[in-house]
Amino acid sequence: MKVIYTDSLVIGGGLAGLRVAIASRQRGFDTIVLSLIPAKRSHSAAAQGGMQASLGACIKGEGDDEDVHFADTVKGSDWGCDQDVARMFVNTSPKAIRQLSAWGVPWSRVRGGDREVVINGEKVTITEKQDAQGLITARDFGGTKKWRTCFTSDGTGHTMLYAMDNKAIQMGIPVHERKEAIALIHEGGLCYGAVVRDLITGELAAYVAKATTIATGGYGRLYAVTTNAIISEGIGNAIALETGIAALGNMEAVQFHPTAIVPVGILTTEGCRGDGGLLLDKDGYRFMPDYEPDKKELASRDVVSRRMTEHMRKGKGVSSRYGDHLWLDITLLGRKHIEKNLREVKEICEYFLGIDPVKEYIPVRPTQHYSMGGIRTNATGESPTLKGLFSAGEAACWDMHGFNRLGGNSVAETVVAGMIVGEFVSDYCAANSLNVSTATIEHFINQEKKKITDLLMRNQGENPFELKAEMQKIMMDKVGIFRNGQDLEKAVEELKVLNQRAREIALRNRISSSNPELVEAIRVPKMIKLAQCVAYGALLRTESRGAHAREDYPERNDRDWLKRTLTTWKDEGSDLPEVKYEDLDVMKMEMPPGSRGYGVDNTIHHPDTKKRISQIETIKEANPGADRYELQELLNPTMIPEKFKGRNERIGRGFK
Amino acid sequence: MDSYSIESNKKKSRLPARLDLAQSGTGLILGLFMWVHMFLVGSIVLGKGAFNFVAKTMELSFLSDTGHGYPAAVFFAVLTVFTLFIIHALLGVRKFPISWKQHRIIVDQMQMMNHTDTNLWYIQVVTGFIMFFAGSVHLYVMLTNPGGIDPYMSADRMVSGTMWPLYFILLICVELHGSIGLYRLCMKWGWFKAGNPKETRQKLKTFKNKATIFFLSLGIIALLVFIVIGINHRSRVGERYSKLETAVERVPALVAEVKALQPSDATHQ
Amino acid sequence: MNDQERILKFHIFRYNPQKKGDKPRMVTYEVTEAPGMTIFIALNEIREQQDPSIQFDFVCRAGICGSCAMVVNGSPTLACRTLTSKYESGEIKLLPLPGFELIGDLSVNTGKFMRAMSERVESWIHDQYADEVNFDKLEERMDPEVADQIYELERCVECGCCVSACATKRMRPDFLSAVGFMRLARFALDPRDKRTNEEFYEIMGDDDGVFGCMTLLGCEDYCPKDLPHQTQIAYLRRKMAFVR
Ligand SMILES: Cc1cc2nc3c(=O)[nH]c(=O)nc-3n(C[C@H](O)[C@H](O)[C@H](O)COP(=O)(O)OP(=O)(O)OC[C@H]3O[C@@H](n4cnc5c(N)ncnc54)[C@H](O)[C@@H]3O)c2cc1C
Ligand code: HEM
Ligand code: HEM
Ligand code: SF4
Ligand code: F3S
Ligand code: FES
Repeated sequence: MKVIYTDSLVIGGGLAGLRVAIASRQRGFDTIVLSLIPAKRSHSAAAQGGMQASLGACIKGEGDDEDVHFADTVKGSDWGCDQDVARMFVNTSPKAIRQLSAWGVPWSRVRGGDREVVINGEKVTITEKQDAQGLITARDFGGTKKWRTCFTSDGTGHTMLYAMDNKAIQMGIPVHERKEAIALIHEGGLCYGAVVRDLITGELAAYVAKATTIATGGYGRLYAVTTNAIISEGIGNAIALETGIAALGNMEAVQFHPTAIVPVGILTTEGCRGDGGLLLDKDGYRFMPDYEPDKKELASRDVVSRRMTEHMRKGKGVSSRYGDHLWLDITLLGRKHIEKNLREVKEICEYFLGIDPVKEYIPVRPTQHYSMGGIRTNATGESPTLKGLFSAGEAACWDMHGFNRLGGNSVAETVVAGMIVGEFVSDYCAANSLNVSTATIEHFINQEKKKITDLLMRNQGENPFELKAEMQKIMMDKVGIFRNGQDLEKAVEELKVLNQRAREIALRNRISSSNPELVEAIRVPKMIKLAQCVAYGALLRTESRGAHAREDYPERNDRDWLKRTLTTWKDEGSDLPEVKYEDLDVMKMEMPPGSRGYGVDNTIHHPDTKKRISQIETIKEANPGADRYELQELLNPTMIPEKFKGRNERIGRGFK
Repeated sequence: MDSYSIESNKKKSRLPARLDLAQSGTGLILGLFMWVHMFLVGSIVLGKGAFNFVAKTMELSFLSDTGHGYPAAVFFAVLTVFTLFIIHALLGVRKFPISWKQHRIIVDQMQMMNHTDTNLWYIQVVTGFIMFFAGSVHLYVMLTNPGGIDPYMSADRMVSGTMWPLYFILLICVELHGSIGLYRLCMKWGWFKAGNPKETRQKLKTFKNKATIFFLSLGIIALLVFIVIGINHRSRVGERYSKLETAVERVPALVAEVKALQPSDATHQ
Repeated sequence: MNDQERILKFHIFRYNPQKKGDKPRMVTYEVTEAPGMTIFIALNEIREQQDPSIQFDFVCRAGICGSCAMVVNGSPTLACRTLTSKYESGEIKLLPLPGFELIGDLSVNTGKFMRAMSERVESWIHDQYADEVNFDKLEERMDPEVADQIYELERCVECGCCVSACATKRMRPDFLSAVGFMRLARFALDPRDKRTNEEFYEIMGDDDGVFGCMTLLGCEDYCPKDLPHQTQIAYLRRKMAFVR
């Protein structure tokens, strides 16, 4: 039995995982990162558009600060987020970006003076402040009041991930590549690490640690067409679910991005629209202003995606052999801009579509993109039910995104969560010693060994590739952008059948070492369980909030549904997860529920909302002299680690 | 941080840097020299007189009263070039695929990719290897016959001394090797990169091709001329070229010329 | 729309070093071409329908992560963004990237190589004070031009095409190779990295370093991200050749 001991085990080598590892290493703890692939290939590298932080250096970001960012984030989440976490996040994000700058990210900078930009389909000249020359600049993104999305051309995630991994290499943090965590080791409500399969040799090993952090990214591959990498299969979430103790939060909250290319679903960044690109229908008509006269193409993602779908349902889509789509027009931005700031987009168009986006429209359609749901943690990043298990990044439901995340808030989350959760992980490592018996470790390894042997021994059974394809199709057709009770019921039923069939997988290539079919056979049953969580959660949630849009329940229902879905899978043999709910306390909200400002407001309000609003009024009146920091402290005291408590400086504004 | 203080404890030798400079420096001088050399040798195309004039000028005959010049000048020139040649060759050998295994790898690699610049490099290696022998012979001959550069003596060496195959091979090698080398030099040190480097590279490559073709043609024509002269001169091997002699040989033609011209024009020079 | 369907012939290198007694061989698979088909799509089809044991690496399938480099009809390139329609004959030969440790079939261990490269060139900002910066304060300013130039060199995805396309690297395994040079050029350009020329010389001042590069330019010609290898290696060479 191979056992590897460490203090802080991090599963996942994306931005979130690496940042947690760096934090625990900085505090002197032995740290190991596990990854399916080399860390720099993690899906974080695909983030093109940018990272939100309220630096307010560019002219269109003037007046931006934590409070504005907070308000955007909460609104964006359709009030489904945890406001404490959102607060921690907005306060730390500017520091995160500045630290990354010191670590080597070549953020695009402000050029003082005039420059031409496209806003609302027209060329406009804006004048950047000379004294901001050389500071980190920002671009416009959907759902934000200010230009707040910092970027490096359109390779933001790539440069961030490279800087982060380089930092990890500098610190000598080992990244064990081509390793897959396939089960968590736990006992008595405490997590002690993971059973890990080597994807080359097939060998199983136990990685035993004081604290285990899951940062395995999203679960987009539950869907047939997604912008996500093919490794975004949610295995990290699934192994947490399979403990029967840790819970997954808000799994039904799945985001669709408006502009992925047809048919392959590769993303063209929101930066396309942020920089002035337009959405057109089959007649070349710009339809978004009809639906959202205010924010138009730059409404929140869930909104734009739904409007596009609506418009196509009216027969305005361009028909193609792959179904209907719409056009994304960035020709008006001009060659120079596209070749410099949207170069990856250009490459993607050239290689995958054979078109030149400088001259031609890009065929796009809303496509699965982001998983707001994930391992439920409290604000420290720790699972409330399984101690010693932490989670960060897209894999977590730390819950700053609620039911819809804003573009640019995700890579920001990975880094900020990495910083903050990393501190709590270190605190945990400092406060606890490792007490796990070899018998326990052996038990978990043997359990996995047996599953694999069973797979290799079975003569006849299901084909894992087929099961996966069927699951993906169900999710696509029945748990998509618009959902309804009928379809969801069908989806849940069909997935039940798949779940049963998944117990009978047999292989054609029966070797235990590197074997893609075996990898699939291990993953598919886990993925089907996750799909169940999504579909079942969506079926039960009879309201529309953020990305979860029920045609049969179009209104946001704060009265009954201002709560977070918690899913657990206690009994290995069951076909459905157990679903519970956790209330969001309106009386503690810094920003009580209100309207997001899209379409008609048909919210069914929570009885506490009015109370809380007037309470806030009273507090404000009672403290007339309070500045924004003091007010925030009164309304929403948060527990930011000491390291990150400082106020953020901004050009022309100082620390105010 | 971790390795910020490397500098203080150990220091890498600067030799590789110097050697690289030497490789390029000798290559550059040799490459440019060969262009000049081809023009000089190519003067035979314009006639024996022209070649003779060049040869004598090289011997610095204009400085001497006798008109014989100082063959020692040629000797030292050859010595210098020979030295550069040897240095360059020794430096070049370092880059050769030294083992059979390495050779296999490069050949495999070329078969796999069929990539122009890699192929060009391989041509350089092969031609360099050949020149190591062929060039040495030529330079040795030049070194030992400093005064022996003369339309007839040169042509005799080619034909009666049967050196022409060697020259032919050497010519092909040096033209390929030299122009590829000069192109590589520009790439290696990033010269002429103004504007778009990719375009510059394309332009330089075209220029290189043209240079090869030009000098190769010039060389072949010169070689043929030498061979023709050498064949005609087979019976009088060892005899030097002299203007006078030429005049005698050409007496009938001269007479005709003289007749055709006015007497006033026929004055001897 | 009535595209003619072609039958593509994939000749694929097969060898699993993990499997005792396995021998390297070429195996041919036939796939019906679909419009917009990439090698990524075709290989997955082969794995799902014909031979589940075949190994290859894809992650982003969008030409972003650098996982999927392999030799396609003689050219090292990113397989995920290579359309099958590019090959008129319909014959496609796939080999694993040479010069890397073979994991199996088309999968090679570029990750291990790249980590070693990063360690060798010390691929991080060298600044004694970087960890003492107060991140509450305004960040250090940077010339916007310089930031853009750094980004140009930062676009490398560590795919390894330039390594496989370099005959020098293949002949001399210790040669740093193009991807390392690009990384060094990136840090040499960055004003935040305080390394001196002498310190860079320690890393690349020998025949396994920049002086070993024979300017074969396979790196430049096969880099899927169009990085400017030629000018950058020349820049490093100039910089290093005159270090005192
Ligand atoms: C195309 C695209 C564009 C995007 N653009 C933006 C943008 O512009 N702005 C923005 O804010 N966000 C964007 N996002 C979202 C954002 O990129 C991701 O949410 C974020 O990068 C996720 O980072 P992560 O660290 O959580 O996970 P990832 O980067 O996905 O890393 C997951 C890691 O976990 C490892 N792993 C997974 N499973 C296992 C296992 N079982 N065992 C061991 N290791 C495992 C993987 O190897 C990998 O290293 C984009 C997303 C996509 C898909
Ligand atoms: C004895 C015969 C010769 C040998 C063995 C030889 C070998 C080589 C080799 C191996 C290279 C490649 C160096 C590298 O890749 O770094 C080279 C480069 C070069 N050679 Fe030669 N060579 C010889 C003669 C010549 C001659 C006669 C000339 C003049 C025309 C010449 C001109 C050049 C030039 C210009 C270069 C490029 C310099 C550089 O890359 O630094 N070589 N030679
Ligand atoms: C200073 C040094 C040199 C001198 C003085 C010199 C001189 C000559 C002379 C006089 C000839 C005419 C033939 C003869 O007389 O034999 C000749 C021909 C030739 N030389 Fe040189 N040479 C020199 C260096 C070189 C070098 C270094 C090379 C290449 C490696 C070279 C390649 C040739 C070739 C290929 C020819 C035949 C040209 C033709 O007729 O097409 N020479 N050289
Ligand atoms: S330099 Fe280019 S070819 Fe080399 S690894 Fe980077 S992206 Fe790939
Ligand atoms: S191919 Fe190799 S030899 Fe140099 S120019 Fe590129 S590294
Ligand atoms: S799979 Fe990411 S580059 Fe091809």
